[in-house]
Formats: sequence, structure tokens, C-alpha cells
Amino acid sequence: MEAGLVKAPIEVYRFDPTHDRAPRYDRFELELAPHTPVLTALLKIRADSDPSLTMRYSCRSSICGSCAMVINSKSRLACQTPIGPELERHGRIVIDPMRNMPVLRDLVVEMGGFWGNYRKLEPHLIDNPERPMPEGRPSSMSPEEVERFKETPRCIACGACYSACPAVEHDAAFPGPMSLAKLYRFVVDPRDGGQRERLLKIQPGGLWLCLRCHLCTEACPKDVRPSERIRDLKEMAIALQGATEHGSKHAVAFKENIRERGVLNEFKLVRQTYNPIEMLGQVPQGLKIRRKKPEITQTPKPIEGLAEVEKLYEILDDEPEATK
Amino acid sequence: MRLAYYPGCVAQESGKELDLATRWVCRKLGIELVEFPNFSCCGSGFIDEANSVLNVALNARNLAIAEKAGLDLLTVCSTCQGMLTLANRRLEEPAVKTKVDGALGQIGVSYHGGTSVRHLLQVLTESIGPEAIRRQVRRPLTGLKVGAFYGCHLLRPAAEMRSESAEDPHSFEDLIAALGATPVMYRGRVMCCGFPILFVKEETANRIAGHQIEDAKAHGAHAMATPCPLCHISLDSFQNLAERAVGRDLDMPIFHLPQLVGLALGATAEELGLPRHLVSTDSALQRIGEVAVPT
Repeated sequence: MEAGLVKAPIEVYRFDPTHDRAPRYDRFELELAPHTPVLTALLKIRADSDPSLTMRYSCRSSICGSCAMVINSKSRLACQTPIGPELERHGRIVIDPMRNMPVLRDLVVEMGGFWGNYRKLEPHLIDNPERPMPEGRPSSMSPEEVERFKETPRCIACGACYSACPAVEHDAAFPGPMSLAKLYRFVVDPRDGGQRERLLKIQPGGLWLCLRCHLCTEACPKDVRPSERIRDLKEMAIALQGATEHGSKHAVAFKENIRERGVLNEFKLVRQTYNPIEMLGQVPQGLKIRRKKPEITQTPKPIEGLAEVEKLYEILDDEPEATK
Repeated sequence: MRLAYYPGCVAQESGKELDLATRWVCRKLGIELVEFPNFSCCGSGFIDEANSVLNVALNARNLAIAEKAGLDLLTVCSTCQGMLTLANRRLEEPAVKTKVDGALGQIGVSYHGGTSVRHLLQVLTESIGPEAIRRQVRRPLTGLKVGAFYGCHLLRPAAEMRSESAEDPHSFEDLIAALGATPVMYRGRVMCCGFPILFVKEETANRIAGHQIEDAKAHGAHAMATPCPLCHISLDSFQNLAERAVGRDLDMPIFHLPQLVGLALGATAEELGLPRHLVSTDSALQRIGEVAVPT
């Protein structure tokens, strides 16, 4: 083997739904420099061994967002993932298509659901009568206004967050991390006139299905940090219209619950979140748990220094502008 | 070693067995738990959604209590660990710090950022170390295959938690091996348990929990163990509903982290509160010869 090269066993998911009954993994053994990107390795496989290997790619520079795939269980860009650290950690490189999207062929997935969720959120500026677009010159923003976008303009819509997201995997009502990060970008855009409507629509539109597991933030190749912007959207939605959904009701109820004793009153929290009919539905499971864990319906003792906690609520929660 | 013990709400209430097991293990390993009856709830991620600055302030007050006593904070919950660490990070933002310091000033509290927040898993694997624990094992968990279930907030966001690899952690597996058991590797070990949306859409939350348990089972796990009592609620207290959601029996015993450690160090099932679980741990105890196999 040439000096500086390493043996790279690569297993690639192969599936052509028009011919194959089931997916399979093809194994290739390459000799490559450790800094070689996975995408380059795949292109080499295609050039040297199997021209039928199908995948999306274009710029090879983490700009176009085409080559997202699952590499050793993690959703990421093939052009941005060098083989060396993967081989050190896993001894081999297993490549799968992105999750949560149907496979068209090999590593190419059908991204219609991903784009559909995005389009539904109207990802374009809506006229703002209070800040009309100037004639004949670009609309400018102050540095402070630009700062509010945080990292969201960096998104390249590669789909890695959507692929990594367990809420997308288990509930079709969740729009996905990228859509919500993009929505945030418009909600904080001072030139946009749709802020209110966007927030009103998104509370019942799946916002509260985010599990705040932060897997999207770890998957994102551009450090957009979608989970943190989703958290911001939740806080903004509550500030605008209060708690309208189970998720926001639960968040607000939790906050009020802690104010009373400094620690959680578990049983009361359930009563605060659900209406009486929904409460009835909780009774069988509640009784099952209480048989083993009687504390679940007991009221906990307040903490010492509860007055300090109360004061923090008065200063930071009772004044609406203080939370902004 | 002396640490400010932050049990969190659940371990003081419906998850009391976690507190029992933590105290037993810490006594055995010579970790002195200093208690502060004035700690408040970490907000569990929910207060952060409702009012993020209030959330930081409440946790800064907790951190200040430990700082004043000159102690690091010990958590036994991935979510408490996440929220208290998040407060330390958000206080690095000048705008947040100004607001929080102003509020704390009015209750006569000041926090200077000096409190390290450490989860029991980190204390066991980093400060004491798997080797030292292995030497104290009285009842090796030989033959028991255990799937570690980390809980999101212990690991992510990685830029804030700044602990071991968020993508490919191994501390829990190292510990499981030191106890004599066999760690099981599966994708779900770093995934979500569904708990955050248990009150939003119960069926989806149950399905997510069921999915992770199925994954551990498919990789041969006889039991799972978690450092987070909220994951324990999802995986144990609601396992019957998770079974319904995924349409199959799971029968997976779920241990709290210190219960598994305590078991290997010689504690009885009662001392560790194992009878309080919704899913019986007997099948796991049989494998290590602790409970007779029913004939």
C-alpha cells in the first residue's frame, strides 16, 4: 500500500425498487488517504467498480446541500465527512440513504415531503405595511436586526436534520427542524409583515411535537442549531397568544406549578394540562402507576427559600416586557 | 468526595427509588452528599419554553447555592444536568447575564459562574473510574446484557454539554462492563425516549419509547439502564402503553443507573427500590442468580 494511505472498507446501501426485492449492502475495499471525503470515495467506487451507484451531489464544498446521507448512523454531508475519523471510530464506513424519506434508488431519496412541509410555511417575505420595501434600492437592516436571525440564514436545505429527527420519524404532523428554523428566520425578519399569522398558524401546526432532543442541531452541517430556534418559536408563540395547545399549556402549567412550591407537584401538573374529560382518560394509567408509586398523587413540601423563587417570578415573569 | 446533591423533583417524588439507590451507592463509594433544602426545580425544559430568562435565573439561584458552599453540583437526571449546564452557558451571553444578575441582586444572591454541574454517571466514570468500581463489585452482573440509554440532555447540544462524544459516547457502556454485565450497542441508546411530548401527543411519545426498547431488544438486551428518571418514566411507567403503540410485548426491565451499580456492589432489590418499578426486574435478577427462576 502506498505510504500515507489507509485501507477503507466501505459498505454501501443498494436498492432499486423497480428490480430488487430487498435492499442489500455492497462492500468495497479502497485504499485512500485519511482526509479523503466520503463523497470522493463514493465517486471513486462509481468510476472504478460500479457505474450504476446512484447518488446526488454537486459542489463538493458543503454549499449545495445535495450529498446528505447517513454515514455510520449519522445524517450528514458526504463531502464534509473525511474517512479517517470514521475508520478510527468504527473500523468501517457504512453508508445508507437519508432516513424519513422513501428511497428512489441507492442513496437517492424522494424529498417531496421535506419540501412540501417547507412550502406550507410560506418561506418568502410577506409585505409589511409598517416597513414598505423602498423603491429602486435594496431594503436595508441594522446590524442589530441582522443579529436576530442568529445562524438560520446559513441553512443549505440539505435535509440532514429531517433525516435525523425522531419527531419526523414518528409523527407526520411535525413539519421538521429545517422548516421551523426557516420559519424563525421570517418571524424575526423586520421586513416581514406575517410574523403574527406565522406564529398563530404554527402553534397548532406541529410546533409542540419537537422533542428537544437536539439531534437536528448535531446533524446540521452548517451549525444552524434548529432545535434552539424551535425553542425560541415556542416562547414567542406563547408570548403572542398564550397557551393554546397541549404543548404550550403544559409548558405554562409547569412554570406556574413550580412557582407554588419550588418543586414539581406531579399530580397537579396533570390536572393543569388536561381538561376534565382528558383527565378521565388518564385515570387507568394513573392508578396503575400510583399502586407502585404512591407519591404521584401526594403534594410535595415547599422548598426553603420559596420567597426568593417567588420574587424571581415577579421580576422576570410578571412584567411582560421583561421576558422579551 | 463531597458534592452538593441535586436530586431533582422526580427522584424526590414518584421516582423515589432513584434517590434510594443514589444514596446507597454514594455511601458505598464514599461520596458525601451535602443536601440543600432550598434547591428549586430545574424547569425540566418546560420553563425554558415558557420563559427562557426566568429558567436561567432559577437555575442560577441553584448554582449560586452550591457555589456559596464551595461545592460542585451532583445531578442524577439527564434533564437536570442539561438545564443547569444550559444556565451556566447562557450566562456567558452578556444580555442574559445582565438581566439575571439584576434579578438575583434583588433577592440578595450573586452567582459568579463557578459551579460545575456533574451527573452521577460522570462522577462514577471520570472521578472514581470503572476500574475502581470493578474492584468493589460483590455480585458481578455476569450474563446480563444491558442496553445503556443515555437521555438526550446529558449529551446534547454537544457545544453546551461539552462532555464526552455526543455522537458515540461510551462512558455508560464502560461502566456496565465494569459491573460484569455485557453492554449492548444499538442506535436507540443516544435517541429520545419520547418524554417531552408525553403530555402533547401521548401516542407518539409511547411509540417512540416502544421503538427504542424494541431496538435494544433486537440487539439482545435483557435489560436497559438510564441515567435519567424522565426516560425511566417513559420506558418503565408507560411501557404498557409503549407496547400497545408498537403492537408487541416488550417486557423490558429498566434500571436507573445507580440501581444497576448498587446491584453489582451488593445491595438488595429492596434497598434499591426495585419493587417500585412498573415492569418487574425479576427476569434480569434471575440472570444474575439473585432471584430463583420460577419452576
